[in-house]
Amino acid sequence: MTTQTNTETVTLTIDGKTVTAPKGTVVVDAARTVNIEIPVFCYHEKLGPFGCCRMCLVEVEKMPKMATACTLTVAEGMVVRTNTDKVEKAQQGVLEFTLLNHPLDCPVCDKGGECPLQDNTFKFGPPETRMQFERFNRDKATPLSPVITIDRERCIACQRCTRYSDIIEKDQALVMLNRGFRNTVSTFNDRPYDTRFSGNVIDICPVGALTNTDFRFSARSWDLKNSQTTCGHCACNCNMILGARVNEMKRVTSQQNANDAVDDGWICDKGRWGYEFTRSKNRIAAPWQKGRTEPLDVPEAAEAVAGALKKIVEEHGPDAVGYIGSPFALNEELYLYQKLFRQGLGTNNIDHKTHADTPGLPVAHADMLDIESAGFLLVVASDPTEELPILELRIKKAVTRLNVPLVILNDQKTVLDRFAQTRVRYNVGTDASVLHALDRAIQGQGGAADAATGVSADQLSGLADRIKSAGKVVVVYNPAALTGNGAQVIKQLLKTIDAQDGVECRAMPAAPGTNAVGAMDMGILPGFYPGGLPLNDAATIKERFGEETPLSPGASALEMIEKAAKGEIKALVVHRCNPVVDFPDGKKVKEALAKLKLLVVHDILHTETSGMADFLLPSNGPGFDEGTTTSVGGRVQLRTRGLHTETPQDVRILTRVLKALEVEANYKDATDVLKEIAEKIPAYSGITRKAIRKTGQNRETIHAAGGSAVEPQNAGTNGEGLTLRVTDVLFRHDKVLDAESPLAHQFQQSTVQMHPDDAEALGLKDGARVRVTANGAFVEARVAVSGKCNPGSVVMPRVSDEQNLNHLLTPGALARVTITPQG
Amino acid sequence: MTLILTKDIDTPGLTGIDVYEKTMGGYQSLKKAFSHTPEEVVEMVKASGLRGRGGAGFPTGLKWSFLAKDVFPRYLACNADESEPGTCKDRELMEKNPHMLIEGMILCSYACRINTAYCYIRGEFRHIQRIFDKAVEEAYAKGYLGKNILGSGFDLEMHSHLGAGAYICGEESALLSSLEGCRGEPRLKPPFPAVEGLYSKPTIVNNVETLCVVPFIVNEGPEAHAALGTEKSKGTKLVSVSGHVNKPGNYEVVMGTPTSEIINKHAGGIRNGNKLKAFIPGGSSVPMLPADKADVPYDYESLMEAGSMLGSGALIVMDDTTNVVAETLRLAYFYMHESCGKCTPCREGTRWMHQLLTQIDNGTGKPEQVELLNDICDNMSFKCFCPLGDAAVGPVASSIKYFRQDYEEILAGTKTGV
Repeated sequence: MTTQTNTETVTLTIDGKTVTAPKGTVVVDAARTVNIEIPVFCYHEKLGPFGCCRMCLVEVEKMPKMATACTLTVAEGMVVRTNTDKVEKAQQGVLEFTLLNHPLDCPVCDKGGECPLQDNTFKFGPPETRMQFERFNRDKATPLSPVITIDRERCIACQRCTRYSDIIEKDQALVMLNRGFRNTVSTFNDRPYDTRFSGNVIDICPVGALTNTDFRFSARSWDLKNSQTTCGHCACNCNMILGARVNEMKRVTSQQNANDAVDDGWICDKGRWGYEFTRSKNRIAAPWQKGRTEPLDVPEAAEAVAGALKKIVEEHGPDAVGYIGSPFALNEELYLYQKLFRQGLGTNNIDHKTHADTPGLPVAHADMLDIESAGFLLVVASDPTEELPILELRIKKAVTRLNVPLVILNDQKTVLDRFAQTRVRYNVGTDASVLHALDRAIQGQGGAADAATGVSADQLSGLADRIKSAGKVVVVYNPAALTGNGAQVIKQLLKTIDAQDGVECRAMPAAPGTNAVGAMDMGILPGFYPGGLPLNDAATIKERFGEETPLSPGASALEMIEKAAKGEIKALVVHRCNPVVDFPDGKKVKEALAKLKLLVVHDILHTETSGMADFLLPSNGPGFDEGTTTSVGGRVQLRTRGLHTETPQDVRILTRVLKALEVEANYKDATDVLKEIAEKIPAYSGITRKAIRKTGQNRETIHAAGGSAVEPQNAGTNGEGLTLRVTDVLFRHDKVLDAESPLAHQFQQSTVQMHPDDAEALGLKDGARVRVTANGAFVEARVAVSGKCNPGSVVMPRVSDEQNLNHLLTPGALARVTITPQG
Repeated sequence: MTLILTKDIDTPGLTGIDVYEKTMGGYQSLKKAFSHTPEEVVEMVKASGLRGRGGAGFPTGLKWSFLAKDVFPRYLACNADESEPGTCKDRELMEKNPHMLIEGMILCSYACRINTAYCYIRGEFRHIQRIFDKAVEEAYAKGYLGKNILGSGFDLEMHSHLGAGAYICGEESALLSSLEGCRGEPRLKPPFPAVEGLYSKPTIVNNVETLCVVPFIVNEGPEAHAALGTEKSKGTKLVSVSGHVNKPGNYEVVMGTPTSEIINKHAGGIRNGNKLKAFIPGGSSVPMLPADKADVPYDYESLMEAGSMLGSGALIVMDDTTNVVAETLRLAYFYMHESCGKCTPCREGTRWMHQLLTQIDNGTGKPEQVELLNDICDNMSFKCFCPLGDAAVGPVASSIKYFRQDYEEILAGTKTGV
């Protein structure tokens, strides 16, 4: 089995200090452990040895030539010297060469103050230059993409960026062109360097050559207030630094010390350039009530909301109110909300999602490091590239550098397909059947899967055989992309895999929302209390949450909308969620919400839903808020605030509402709520602010409540025509990435991906303008003829809020669409 | 004198396989080799004392025995990227006798259990690629290449690849990168090519001349080769003599022949009856030596002792009319132009040295620049990523060491010249 850590160690001496380091460590890293700094430019621990800048030359006993400490691996008894006259001369020499043609524009350079070239020059450089010739003039500010500007004069050709593009991104999008002193970082044919992870090259550039176009010249690094926090976009929860000046977000960078358990030191471009919303004019600034011109103050608003909710419960019973939360809120906020609805109002009408899923796993929850050590990595219905980009990088690392075999089971083609040993493409909407058939194949009860799946018995038995001999099997699946009862069937499959002799199975439910795992853990579900407690475990529920707490099943988010339409639910609190755009059948959702007596929207930005609200509550959101999230790998981390706001934290607002409803709520801040979470959810028992402060901590696996075997049920379809599969894209033009986003160049047009057979049958050519119709609504799109999915279905990425893709969908069933050409 | 490489080389039609077989007993060595185990062939090459003729002089048999055990496939990459200024020996061998190279490549492949061999040919040698490809075609037709060669059960496929005109691709790891279709930049060693070479598989990289000697060793026995030359430098060396001699050209001499004998006897002496001023014994990458060292025996050890190297065997001769500074400037230009730019000292140092030498040469230099040049050499030597950096230092440092007077005269304005 592949393991990354080598436990064998060797002992060597560096400048007389004894160092013990794992075999394979390079001398630069070994020296760092005893606080000896060997200067480097080209070396980066995530990129591995390269040895081109020659900055790290050291003397090693018994070696005739000086050696580069970044390429030299430690050996038993090795004697290294970093402080001899010879080393000093070499360092000065190399720095003199490095600076020879480097412009002296430090006073205006973005990197100034945090520049390895500056730092190394001060510490190790020659006192003055002997260069008497004019410096080599090269192109100054040149765009590599709309968000990255390269200054070719400043480049010292360390090739960190090109190696990053090659080794980490696996794209080779950035390359060195030309030779000798004319060599330069560029792209093939001057195409823009606009990958999903391009911004990391700015952080690893040891000089000011690669700069952030958005940040360029806008602040000096020492004037920034840098806050170490986590990203609030997807469920990867990457560690990042938010740099603010005078309380305004200036830039986001990755962390210097990589958190290997989370992000391996990288962030995606959405994390880097997706924080414009912190300074958006579209923010909900203060509480507001329909019919009032002046904003409310927070205590007033909290009492009014509590009173209005209470009144409806008194008039229509507790099940006339409901809470639609979201996977984007913090654990503390979600926990308080479920407390508010359960203990304060007495209902289980609590949910945060539109797909069917239950909390907990029958096997251990896999984290990012498990992916690296897997003997077999199975990715089901997940497209990490668009949904969880940093997970994509980790999978690429596992496959290309740690020889982990990757198998993909999906109804659509994904970027990761090219790294997979095996790809099984099933027909849209048949995942439950396929997963069930695989389960049976592993149990030796072969036979073909349903013919409708498009998957052969051989494909499944081949997979089954490999799984049985794989040792450690890690399954990454996106519950939000499973249909029918696929989310239940896959848990049965996990159990079967884990039960095989010599096989250990771990799973990562990889729904994309920032805190998707946390929302499940916090019991934002109609049938489960925090910690995955099912309603039938009444004794435990009562013990933890009181005798009065409701035990009858609540309505799911989609059911709540339905009940609102029927007039059975009179009041909804919608928290960090925009059902009008994101829930199936947006028109009906809108009608349903309009019927409510009371709609409270608690959000960061104004949305289509907030426009209908009777009460608006401001939510701080990433950048301003503070609390915990639970990542896709089950790691609980602290999201600290990088920006200050007068608006109280969401937790403070909720505490007021709770108090107004006479529920015990003695919380000064999120930390107090976290304490209660740790008390009430055993899996969080070790999670304290102190324990998670630096790198976070994995919460224990939440075990699935025991269930009996389920038969697969594929999703039903609605209408006639091609089956529609809706997918997510990373750079979706929505409220968070609005038209002013630096990432606007990444927005895509509305597309319908069609199989060549279907396109031919309909007489449609690539690029044709079409109208996609279903459910009495239509969406305009361009045809992309591709092998994205099997014949009989089409894939439409959800590219923007204005696309209104949800109008085509109906709850609980797959839409069938008709496609008609437009002139 | 026994000649190994240039015997019968001027036979008309030798590039054709029939003439090669008839006049030279071509491809006879294959049967002999196939009657031995591959390991025995490696032992023969070891016993012959053959050392790499590309420049480093590493024992060939030893290199072959370093291949990572039991890792397949393995590759042979013949280094025909002959680009060292002054060197033109591989060119003549391939132009006139391509089959000898192919025969050597087959023997090496058999000995090293290699089933795919590449010949990486210098970009400017397009005509040679045509000659080589035709010869390979003939060898296939005769059953010397392909499946089950001569019934031995040994298979070998052979391909040629034309470089794109970069000197650095003569460095073995850069050659492999280029062959893979990547940018021609040297790779980190270790791992050495014998462990992780082409496509990360064990690979032998040998120079054309080296491989051309192998048929002789197999045919005549390792002793016949070991009988020639000095104690540690065995066999013969094809020396490319250029510069101020009457008869420039390639001359095959037994290792240990005095350099002065090569200049005076083989190459017909210095032009116009002039006196020898300096010579570069092994191609532009090695330090130049002054005339008083002309009697140094032409072999690896003696030249090393004299402060230079045998290198690729390109003897560049300069008579007493030479302005060493101008000569050095020309070489400095070459290295600046050919530096791949991967490592800092070479990328920056070669250009800086060229700037300084230009200034000195055109009479606007300052005396202290000579010391500066010396110090740049010191800051570069053994500190660059690959030997190209050291090679760039060779001519500059040695020209200052032996001919500082030329620099001083130019700086003082008392000397001009070519």
